[in-house]
Amino acid sequence: MKVFHIRLAAVLLMVFAVVAGPLVGTAAAAGKVALVIDVGGRGDLSFNDMGFKGADEAVAKFGMELVEIQSNSAADYLPNLQNAARSEAFDLIIGVGFLLADAMAEVTDQFPDQKFAIIDVTWLGKPNLQEVGFEENKGSALVGALGAMVAAHYGYDKIGVVLGIEIPVLYKFEAGYRFGLHWGNAKYAEVTGKSAEVGLLWTYTGTFSDIAKGKVATQAMLAQGAGLIYNVAGPLGIGDLEAITEHLEAQGKSAGPPFMIGVDANQDYLGDGHRVLASMMKRVDYGVYSAIESVANGSFKGGVRILGPGNGGIAISRQQDLGDFIDFGIKGGAISESDRSQITANWQAMRAAVPAWIWEAVEELEAKISSGEAKVPCDWCADSIKAIRAQYPD
Amino acid sequence: MSFSPIFCHCFRKLVNLSCGCFSQFRVGTYEDIGSIVSSMIARATLIKRLHPIMESMLAAVIGLMIGAVIMLGYGYNPVAAYGSLFQGSFGSLYSWAESLANATPLILTALTFAVAMRGGLFNIGAEGQLYVGALAAVAVSLIHLPSPIHIVMALCAAMLAGMLWSLPIALLKLTRGVHEVISTIMFNWIAYFLALYVIAHVLTDPLRGEKTISIVETSRLARIVLGTTLNYGLLIAIIAAVAVLFVLWRTTVGFELRVSGHTSVAARYAGISHRRQILTVLLMGGATAGLAGAVQVMGRPPTYAVLSGLPQLINLGFDGIGVAMIGRNHPIGIIVAAIFFGGLMAGGRVMQFSPGVPLELVRVVEGVIIVTLAVPELRNMLGSFRRQFAKKKVYDGS
Amino acid sequence: MEVEHLWGILFISLHAMVPITLAAIGETIEEAAGLFNIGLEGILLLSALTGALGAEISGSATVGLLAGLGTGALIGGIFGVISTYGRGSQLISGVGINLFAFGFVAFMLINLGAPGFHSVPRDVQVKMISLGVGSVSPLVFLTVGLAIAVYWMLRRTQLGIRIRSVGENPAAADVAGINVNALRLGTALAAGAFAGLAGAYLSVDWFGAVTKELTAGRGFIALATVVFSGLNPLFALLGGFIFGFFDGLATWVSTYPKIKDIIPWQFVAMAPYIVTLLVVAGVIGRVRFPAALGMPYRRE
Repeated sequence: MKVFHIRLAAVLLMVFAVVAGPLVGTAAAAGKVALVIDVGGRGDLSFNDMGFKGADEAVAKFGMELVEIQSNSAADYLPNLQNAARSEAFDLIIGVGFLLADAMAEVTDQFPDQKFAIIDVTWLGKPNLQEVGFEENKGSALVGALGAMVAAHYGYDKIGVVLGIEIPVLYKFEAGYRFGLHWGNAKYAEVTGKSAEVGLLWTYTGTFSDIAKGKVATQAMLAQGAGLIYNVAGPLGIGDLEAITEHLEAQGKSAGPPFMIGVDANQDYLGDGHRVLASMMKRVDYGVYSAIESVANGSFKGGVRILGPGNGGIAISRQQDLGDFIDFGIKGGAISESDRSQITANWQAMRAAVPAWIWEAVEELEAKISSGEAKVPCDWCADSIKAIRAQYPD
Repeated sequence: MSFSPIFCHCFRKLVNLSCGCFSQFRVGTYEDIGSIVSSMIARATLIKRLHPIMESMLAAVIGLMIGAVIMLGYGYNPVAAYGSLFQGSFGSLYSWAESLANATPLILTALTFAVAMRGGLFNIGAEGQLYVGALAAVAVSLIHLPSPIHIVMALCAAMLAGMLWSLPIALLKLTRGVHEVISTIMFNWIAYFLALYVIAHVLTDPLRGEKTISIVETSRLARIVLGTTLNYGLLIAIIAAVAVLFVLWRTTVGFELRVSGHTSVAARYAGISHRRQILTVLLMGGATAGLAGAVQVMGRPPTYAVLSGLPQLINLGFDGIGVAMIGRNHPIGIIVAAIFFGGLMAGGRVMQFSPGVPLELVRVVEGVIIVTLAVPELRNMLGSFRRQFAKKKVYDGS
Repeated sequence: MEVEHLWGILFISLHAMVPITLAAIGETIEEAAGLFNIGLEGILLLSALTGALGAEISGSATVGLLAGLGTGALIGGIFGVISTYGRGSQLISGVGINLFAFGFVAFMLINLGAPGFHSVPRDVQVKMISLGVGSVSPLVFLTVGLAIAVYWMLRRTQLGIRIRSVGENPAAADVAGINVNALRLGTALAAGAFAGLAGAYLSVDWFGAVTKELTAGRGFIALATVVFSGLNPLFALLGGFIFGFFDGLATWVSTYPKIKDIIPWQFVAMAPYIVTLLVVAGVIGRVRFPAALGMPYRRE
């Protein structure tokens, strides 16, 4: 009897496999986009989530369908892209992240008639590939300058940056932040006549997932007198903020300083609106959105687009972004709808407490960077990071 | 009359080859009643051996059904989903190739765990061993050699590196009695950070600092099916599995190893094992794990280098444990289980396309299937061990 | 290094100790009875999620902790049933639990609105106790108390003797009238509950959020701690503290400007693992496990 059941199960299994196969057809709908992400996956609070945001908005706007494909391991990148391309069902296949560079290089050659786009990669140069790069170093410079001036204003002599795994993309953030720090110090001395040499505390935690390291690193930096912590490690920002919140609570306060600076997405709404001073927004959503847009209106062409402070790719968070991201925060469970007005009020108060000249100085730096007068390192500083660290020391 | 002993002999060899638990039978004396008895037992054993395979399949089906219920609960069509799963894992040449490509490193890391298990040890250090193996293979690309030699050198370097990483585990156990569970977990982490350092500072690619230098053309493993990631690493994995099969079931060393591993079944966790056996199984395990790292890096397109954060290598060691257990710690079983796992992974990718089942849910289904596979497992292993015990007592009078 | 820094590191160590030690204590009970659950990591993660949700929905941190504890007990119970009455392979089911947990938590996070993370509102997190030089969570004291209690239970009570006899020689225990499978199942539930509490602590207390990789290998460190402790909960406390200390120290010290010139951060990060090894190799040495660990019991 038992053997019979087993045999039956085996037969059913096989029948199922044979029958179900053809049942899966690839429904060729008009306007389909595939978004392939790297192993970080969704929920990094920044980079990948921004990619999704942009894709969601674009397909909603242009009436297309979106298929999101995550990767379990690096070995999935090429098969995922190949599966997508082979199905011939997608108008555009977007790869998010530099980790997909090699796979993209191969698949664009393999399928020359398929349109592709990739974010954070600018060196491939294929006719059917649109490459979107960002100038994170410039954004980090703005944030570094802001940080130096704010810290000096509130009487701190250090600012910090908590980074993730030591990879060249993060060197861009570090290099820009250093540049901004030094510029901010000089500016502060110029405007107030006082010298406040704000120093830098930095560490690579080696992880984009262990929040404890973000929290401990931040606690260590706060103990050494940091007035501002820049999060360049995705979800570790949660840990950073937790450390800052506890630090303030121990003093009976809930508003900063010390502050946190968010990254990639607008994270200002975290911390009740008055512990995250600003966010260095890397508008990956805009990059993805415009790529899809170009396919929707037929203007797609291969090549490289660099998005920076001048063209809406990089920016420091402003009030108009806040409302947008509060929605995001409500979905994330961090805040509820009833908090919205409180958060907005807190945020405005926090920003108003910082002297106007500091905000103007940041805008001045932004203009100088756009015009080319201020040269921020680096485009790609894998080999030059040591020199940059010497040039803009802690 | 003369036919029967030959039949018994061949049959027994077949049974021996496909399942290790019959080492007690001496291949030689089959003149008398013993031969008839043994042939009957051998036949019964064969059926009994196939039985658990069917049971495992039944468990897999149950797991799939539970997964279907979960998917239904979230509004996904399970028929379409499973259709995609099968299509993506075994539905076309491409799918088969990808499944086998996934299976390749799993076979090797599963061997690491299985070999140790057979010897009575609990080696979960495949993770660390494969990281260093991959880096060693990359390091060999620093020198220039013609093609087949270069590949061989790289593979040897990887095996050596893996063995060097498992050697301290053995030494710590032999000299200080440190249990391998704790030493392997620690060494895994140490290997992780060491790898991050090497990638960022020692073997860095000057143009792209987030990865090591690439494996040179002459050291790469060619693809078997163009347009997929399947490469000749598969062949290496199978050769390794056959080698392990040979060593463990066809040599005296292997025989002693397995017996000492079985002597006290519960002793496997208490760590009572002989000195040479400990060294042998851990070094063998280190070698296969090192190969796993090498094969991933030398064969798997498109990167042919180790990326920072080790995204191509992470979890291969731990997945190997599951593969080994489901493959019942036997090389043939491991190959089958690895293909099953690899198929789940390959099919899971395609499930995201249509009907858009998120990867997370695929993992949930995979987890459920594996838990259901746990249950029929040990019943039969236990049954055979008990018979083993009884027989041993009868034969040696111990 | 200023005194303030030392206090800072001390408190970090205590907080890092809690999840590792709690899970280790629970697993100690289980292993004493002969069960080996490699799925602790998965239980930690699942309970972190349910704990966070429980706290939010009820508005109370304590309910959140209990929710996590309950989830842990449930999964531990499933593992226990498979391992005892189901006579299943403990390793496979443990591996399956891990896989399931990672997929399930990530999946639930998507459904809750923001994939990848879920913050716990500040007011439902566990309140810290201020000690002047810093604040500490009440769970630290609870952990110490539980370690002592479980140590006493295992060594000095009838129940402890029964548990250990089941782990050493289940056949003899059976003859003596102990219901082996029921007792083992009980320890599995207990171990799951401890791990569940540890997981809830991560989300409702220490981090105030759930992310899809919140546990970061702590379940496996707990397993290593059990080996380290030689199945002695007091040593598990010590082991958890040592690990938390060096882990925290490594991260803390890596922010000091001068350190980077001396030693790269990757090597500093290795410190907790190397130290643990040294302590085990140098001081602890051989560890004796129960003779029947890992084998399901079948009455003959």
